Order: sequence, then C-alpha cells, then structure tokens
Amino acid sequence: MTRRRSLGEFEQLLLLAVLRLGEEAYGVTVRREIERRTGRSVSLGAIYPTMDRLEEKGLLTSCMGEPTGERGGRSRRYFTVLPAGVEALHRARATFLAMWEGLEPDPESST
Amino acid sequence: MSGGPTRSRGGPSRAPDPWRAPWWLTLLSRLLPARHRQLFVGDLLEESSCFVRPARGAAAARRWLWRHAWRGAVVGLAYRMSGGGMRGASRLPARTRGAAGGGRPGFGSVVQDLRYAVRTLKGSPGFTAIALLSLALGIGANTAIFSIINEVLIRELPLREPGDLVEIYTTEEGGEYSTSSWADYPDVSALTEVFEGVTGYELTFASVDTDEGSQSRMAELVSGNFFSELGVPMAVGRGFTPEEDQVPGRDAVMVLSHRYWRESFGGSTGVIGQTLRLKGRPFTVVGVASERFKGLWPVLTPDFWTPRMMADHFSLFATESSLLDSRGSRSMFMKGRLREGVSVDQAREALAALTERLREIYPEVWDEGETLEALSTLDVRIHPLVDRAVVPVAGLLMAVVGLVLLIACTNLAGFLLARGTDRQRDLAVQMALGARRSRLVRQMLTETLLLSILGGALGVLLAYWVLGVFSRVELPSLITLHLDFGLDSNVLLFAAVVSVGAGLFFGLLPALASTRTDVAPVLKDESGAVAGGRRRAFLRSVLVVTQVAVSLVLLVSAGLFVRSLVNAQSIDPGFHAPEAGMVWLDLSGRYGAEEARVAYRELEERARALPAVKAAALASRLPLGQSVGTTGVTIPGVEPPPGREYHSADITEVSPGYLDLMRIPVLSGRGFDASDVEGSEPVVMVNEAMARRFWPGEDPVGKVIERGSTELRIVGVTRTTKVRTLGEAPRPQILLPLAQEYSPIVAVLARGREPPELVVNRLRGLVREYNPDISLMSGNTMEQHLSLMLLAPKAAAALLAALGSVALLLASIGLYGLVSYTVSRRNREVGIRVSLGADHGDVIRALVGGGVRLVAWGIALGLLLALGATQLVDRFLYGVGATDPLTFIGVPALFAGITLLAAYIPARRASRVDPVEALRAE
Repeated sequence: MTRRRSLGEFEQLLLLAVLRLGEEAYGVTVRREIERRTGRSVSLGAIYPTMDRLEEKGLLTSCMGEPTGERGGRSRRYFTVLPAGVEALHRARATFLAMWEGLEPDPESST
Repeated sequence: MSGGPTRSRGGPSRAPDPWRAPWWLTLLSRLLPARHRQLFVGDLLEESSCFVRPARGAAAARRWLWRHAWRGAVVGLAYRMSGGGMRGASRLPARTRGAAGGGRPGFGSVVQDLRYAVRTLKGSPGFTAIALLSLALGIGANTAIFSIINEVLIRELPLREPGDLVEIYTTEEGGEYSTSSWADYPDVSALTEVFEGVTGYELTFASVDTDEGSQSRMAELVSGNFFSELGVPMAVGRGFTPEEDQVPGRDAVMVLSHRYWRESFGGSTGVIGQTLRLKGRPFTVVGVASERFKGLWPVLTPDFWTPRMMADHFSLFATESSLLDSRGSRSMFMKGRLREGVSVDQAREALAALTERLREIYPEVWDEGETLEALSTLDVRIHPLVDRAVVPVAGLLMAVVGLVLLIACTNLAGFLLARGTDRQRDLAVQMALGARRSRLVRQMLTETLLLSILGGALGVLLAYWVLGVFSRVELPSLITLHLDFGLDSNVLLFAAVVSVGAGLFFGLLPALASTRTDVAPVLKDESGAVAGGRRRAFLRSVLVVTQVAVSLVLLVSAGLFVRSLVNAQSIDPGFHAPEAGMVWLDLSGRYGAEEARVAYRELEERARALPAVKAAALASRLPLGQSVGTTGVTIPGVEPPPGREYHSADITEVSPGYLDLMRIPVLSGRGFDASDVEGSEPVVMVNEAMARRFWPGEDPVGKVIERGSTELRIVGVTRTTKVRTLGEAPRPQILLPLAQEYSPIVAVLARGREPPELVVNRLRGLVREYNPDISLMSGNTMEQHLSLMLLAPKAAAALLAALGSVALLLASIGLYGLVSYTVSRRNREVGIRVSLGADHGDVIRALVGGGVRLVAWGIALGLLLALGATQLVDRFLYGVGATDPLTFIGVPALFAGITLLAAYIPARRASRVDPVEALRAE
C-alpha cells in the first residue's frame, strides 16, 4: 500500500523554485531564488538531501551538466519537476486553500 | 538519482585556476554524504565567485564562502546523522517534535538534542559545575600521565619505515642485551646480504668553549649514514655524508638539535657554516635536525651530533689506541635496516655467523656466551633492560589514574541517576506523547556526551598546565636534561576517546534506568512513590560504595609511599655533609695523568683556602650519585665467587681531605695523606663491610690486595656508607688516593660556615680562575646531589598523594551529592518529623545514617582491596611493610572523617527546614 504523504513546507519551496527556474534550476539558482522571494537563507546542506528524497518519491528528476570552470571543473546538477510533482503541489495548495476558506482576511479591512 | 556527479576536476594541465577550492572547503565537504560533496563545493564556489564577488567584492565573497560552507556542512551533517530528510512538519512543540515522530528521527533532531542539552545544563549550574569539575580532574590526571608515558614509551620516532629497522646488541654472558664496539661496526655494516644499511650511535659529553668558560653538553657520535639511513627529518642544512665517515679526526662537523639551535643561535638559518669550539677544536655546523626529531632516547636529547670519526676527540681517557679500533671497548648502539624480504631471524643468523668469525680472530675480547643479536625495533621501546623496569611502572601509573577516572565517572553516573529520577515526570509526559524510549535515551546521552566532552576539554587544559609546571623542574644531574612533555596528536586522541567513552558508558546506564518506567503511575502519583526508585537508589548506593573503596585504595597506597619517603630520608647514609657544595669538572683532553694529579692537589689546596671553608676534597664519584664504579680485586687466601676470577668491589678515587669532608670516620689505621703520591707504595682503604666479609675477626690494616697487576697495601678501614641506593645492604668498597690514580671527571667539594649555594659559586670562580679551559659540568649542593636519589620515591609519594587527594575529593563530592539529593527527596518527611517534635539531632542522624552505612561498606571493601593492591607496590617501599598498621588505620580514619563531613553538611541544612514550607511545597 502506498500512502500519499502531503508535502512538507520546505519540499514545496524547493519544487516551486525548480518550476520557476525551468531549465536553469540547479543548486545555486534554487538557493538564490528562495532567498530572493522569501527572504529565507536556505542551506545547501539541507537542499541536497531533500532533493534526493523528492527524487526518490518520483516528484522530481535531475541530471548532471558539463563540468564548468567557475566551479573548478565540477558539474552542476540540474533539476526538473515531474508531472507527479506538479500534481502534488496542486494537491498541497488545494488542501491549504480548503482550510483557509472563510478565514481570508477582509481585503477592505486590511488596507 | 541519475548517476553520481561527474568527477572531472581541473587537473594540473589547466592553467592557474582561480576557482580552485580552498583546502578547508574540501575538508568541510567531507561532513556531507559522498554524493553531495562535489556539488556542494561546486555550488558554493560558483555562487561566491559569479554572484557574491561581482556584487559585494572579493573580501565579502570570501567571508560569504566561509560562512555558508560551515553552515551547509553542519546542516548536512545533521541530516546525515538523523538518517534522512524532513518529514511533514509537526505541530508539536519543538522539544517533543523529534521525540514524538513515529519513524526515523526527524529533521535536525541532533541539533535539537544539543540545544536541549545546553539548556538543561545551563538550567542547573551547580550540577553542571560539579560534574565538569569531576570529569576535568579525572580526565586531566589521565591525560597528564598518558602524555608522559606517550613521550617515554609510545611516541613513534619520526624515522623512515621503522618496521624495517632492527636493534643490534652485543649480548653479555647470561644473554643480557648490551652495547657494542665501534670497532665491530664496519664488520656488521658489511653484512649487506641482510642489511641495507647499519647505523651506529653513542651518547657522550662534550665541552663547548664559550665566552664564560666551557660548558658541558650532551652530544651523540653517529655513523656517517645516521641521518640518511634512518630518514631523520632536517630543519635546515644537511646530515652527514659518507666522506665524513672515512678518516678519523678529519671532519669536524656537527648537526645541531632544534632546541640547541634555538637556544644558542636564536633559530637563525645563518647558522650553517658557523663553528662551535669543542675543547679548542672548531666544529662546523652543517645542519639542524627537525623539531620532530628529539634524538633516539626519551628525555636524553643530545644538543648536537658529530661523526663517529671524531670519537677520540670526545674520549675521556687519552689512550694509545683509538676508540674506533678497540674491539673490547663496547659503548655504542646500532640499528640496522633489513633488506626487502629479509626476516629478523635471518639477520640474527647472519649476526651469529659474524660473531663466530670475530671470535676466531679476537678470542681475547669475545668471551663465550657473548654474541651479536638483533631485535625488531618495533618490539623495543627504550632498551630491553629498561623496558622491563619501566613498562610495569607505566602500567601501574595508568591503573592508578584509571581508578581516579573511574571515581570521577561514578560521580557523573550518580548525578545523572539522581537527575533522571527528578526528571521522571518530564520523561513520562514525553513517553505518553509517543516518544520512543530509544529517542529519549539518545536525548539524555547527548547531554552526557556534551558534559564529558566539555569536561575532557577542561581536563586537557589542566593537564597542559600541570605538564608545563613539571617541564620547568630542573633535575640536579651532571648535565641539563629536558623534560619535554607535550600534548601531541596521540595524547589528544587519547583524551578524546576517554572523554567520549566515559560519556557514553557512564551516561547509558542512568539513561536506561531513568526511562525504564511505567508512564501511568508517575503521571498520577506524587513524588513519593516513583516506580523503579528502589532500583535506582540501590544503583546509587553501589556507586558510592565503589567510589569510597577505590579512593581508599589510592589513599592507603599514598600513605605507604609517604611513610616510605619519611623512612628513606631518615636512613643514615654513613656520611654527613649537608652544608657542602660541589662542582664537577671534566679534565679530559686537556690534562694527562701527570698534570691532572698536580691540578688535583692545587685545586684542593685552593678550595681549602677559600674564606670560611673548613674542609675541602676531590672525589671521582660520590656516594648515592649517578655514576657507580666497580672493580675486580684479588684477595690472597680468599677464593673468588664460583665462575669468577675476582671479587668485585665498588671503587672511588679520593683526595686526602675526603673522609674529613664527608665526616666518614676511620675505624682503624689511617686515612690518605700527602705522603701517598705517585712513586710511593700504592695504598688503599677498605670499608667495614669489606673488612668483615674478607677478614672476619681480623684487622686488615697492613694486608695486601691486588687490583690488576698492582699490589695495594691496606692502610685503613672506614665506616661503610651507602653507595648506590639508600635501601641497599652494605657493599664492599675500596678507596684509592687520587694522587696515585687518574680520573678525568672529578668533583671539587668544600664545606664551611657559608651557605652551600655560596660555596658552589666560590668553587666555580676558583676553577675558572685556576684554568678557564677546564670544562665545568655542573655545580650542586650536597642536598641537591642527594635529592636525585630521593627523586623517585618523592615523585611516587607526591603523585600518589595528589591522585589520592583528588580521589578523596571526588568521593566526597559524590557522597555530598547523594546525601543532598536524598535530603531533597525527603524534605516532606523531614518537615513532618520536625513538626511532630523531632529535634535537629534526630533528623540529622536519620539522614546521615544511610551515608554512614555506605561509607562503612566502602571502607571495608576498600581495605580488602588495599591489602591486595599494596602487595604490588611492596618492592618500591623503604622500611615499611605493605600492611603497615599505622597507614591501614590512620588513612581510613581520616577518610571516614572527611566523607562523613560531606554527608553531614547537607543533612544539617535539611534539619533546619521550616516544616510549613516543606509541607506546602508539594
């Protein structure tokens, strides 16, 4: 039996960042994208194992690029979100929205 | 995952690479799983150089890289240790989130445990301080002792492939490994079918001419291949060359030790090519050995090395034949490097065959039973003979400090058990929330480990400080010895293993005990009926009894050593000159026998003429000193011992004033006087022990004994003095007049009304004035001279007393903790008792009662153990039995007093509680 787990917050952040970056999603850009949008400084030490797990779950895939000079001859690992990943993101969003329903702050009172 | 990262690093073909990873980044990346390391380094390099540097500058980019590398590595490590990644975020409070997670422990649980541990430890500063103090004392003592043992026995010499090296000895009759002859060295070197190379070395004294006169230094004569064959690392310059190993006396070159280089040349690299004058001859410095190479012997670091071809320049006796040619003169050591594929046994066979050849050519020096032998260098620490004496002492020392550590850890375990009980309800809540026991145990272990690592760090600092004090102690020896006990990687590794081991081992038991709990009763109940409390109380009691017993063993041993030291100091050595001062001279190389005898007489006369001096004398060696001389004598009418040609007796050459100076009485006949000179009848004095043994019931004065071909007339009998050790049985000894003998090394002694330190200075000045070329070796007071003899018993007594006191302190802390804790648990009971009218005395008795029983058990057990343990130290004791009643009664009494005080203090405090407060508190 496979139990569908809901995505954790950090997992959602990573998947969304990879989606946004398209072809240019690898360690550096993912880290910077999250930092730029949320103001949260994310550690590479946390990104790699989480990406591994998303990949294990079949939500994401990755491939190694060509070695480049600015990395001292090391390769980038590019990430791509798989359809299952997109679906999981939608499900997570729907779950959240369902829970928020009726709790949305009144747009008029907030301004 | 789609394959591992491509490993195409920028090779050396790539031109200077601005993107090369700094070494520390590569090192940090090792904290991550292997599959992430290259990515990690690559991403960090790329971001810092392509994004951060253009925006914020190079310096900021470097700081950014440093910060993010550390953060990433630590976070990565935490992920790795928690066995995976994040689960769905839990809504439980941070503290229980990890604990309550169902499967593998969740994100950052290690970091979280650490944070929690820090908070708990900060929360109870008293407990933390006592636990840290206990651990620091225990681990500090272990680290200090271990670093000494490491320096003497364990530290591996920085030699090339020590596994291929063998020690080559010439065995004496009876198989004892001994020194070899320089004359045999070329023959051993020629065994090229088994040895790639053979090196020879011999420690010797050298006098260095300085502006303030000459100074005695320790030097080592070595074969020309010494530095190259052994692979001795050099700091500056070179070792010796094969050419410098060819012609006797031609190449006056030297390699300095690192320490001597720093002390005498300020560590300047300009030293190469400079000269030092040794007994008038300039020696050119060609190199400086690396700081890592302190010579082949522990503690005895030579100040410089010179080629063996210069041996005769250092010889104490000006002899006809060179030291390099005299087959019978055995004074050097050899190491051989085995050829590839050759075993130690094959080397041994080759050496045995060589011995047979040598025996045929030189039957006069190769006695039956003497042979060249080889032992693997890895099997020898210092020298087989020395090892046999030193290794058991080292073992004993480690056992003792191990016991101290055991006590410290027992304290820790006891405190943890107590706290586990206090935390019972806390733990029960967590378990009720679904936390696994293993998870809670891990949390508690994290706390213990943090404690033990901090304690270990403090202990290392403590050890460092103690060793620093120890290294500054000057040993009263003929030349300066350097006790250089540092903290090298071996010692630090040892401290780390001990700390972590202690934390794990002694933390696990209390952690398991505290979490073995039924949740329900604890949550329902009040503090009185804690499940499993009885078992824990029993465990704590066992711990305290063990502590008391073990520290008692240490204190009893310390007591025995102190008693033995007092005894040793009160032994009458047979002479008495506490106000005497002395300087040691080396006349070799500058004075022949004739001139030396003139110098002896003149020096004695001048010393006697010093102001306030009452007696002055010269002697070739002093009783209870480091140098011992033995000679063979023939006694007409008395058969030598079976298998021997001579009777052996200790020998000392003295000037006429010697007996007066040392206050050694002449029992019959006369002492030496000015008439005993060269050309007059050779005379000798014997001591009472010798007279009794060889002429029982007779007066030997007037009889004749033979030494070599010389007939010596006995002119007097002296009282027997101790010669080698204070504990020895009386030994036969003969005294010869210096005026008829020759000794290159002599002490000039004087005593009078002035303090001995002043006498030493006056003697120094006198010798300088007499002839500035005479090499002054050292100046001591008689007290300093004797203190070396008592150094070992004093050190043993001081060390055991210090460790015993630490143990007693630790055991008291433990007992204090236990009673305080019991008292706090029974606060309510005390409150009831007091409110029912019990007086302070009753309450104190009730509370201390438990402690008294534990101490009594501990002392009983400790006495039994001590009876066994002290048998092991029996042979180190002077005039005190291993079951000395005074020690065995006095120490436990003292012990009981101190430990009961430790129990009494918290009990008294408890008896003062306000009953209303105590009852309301629940």
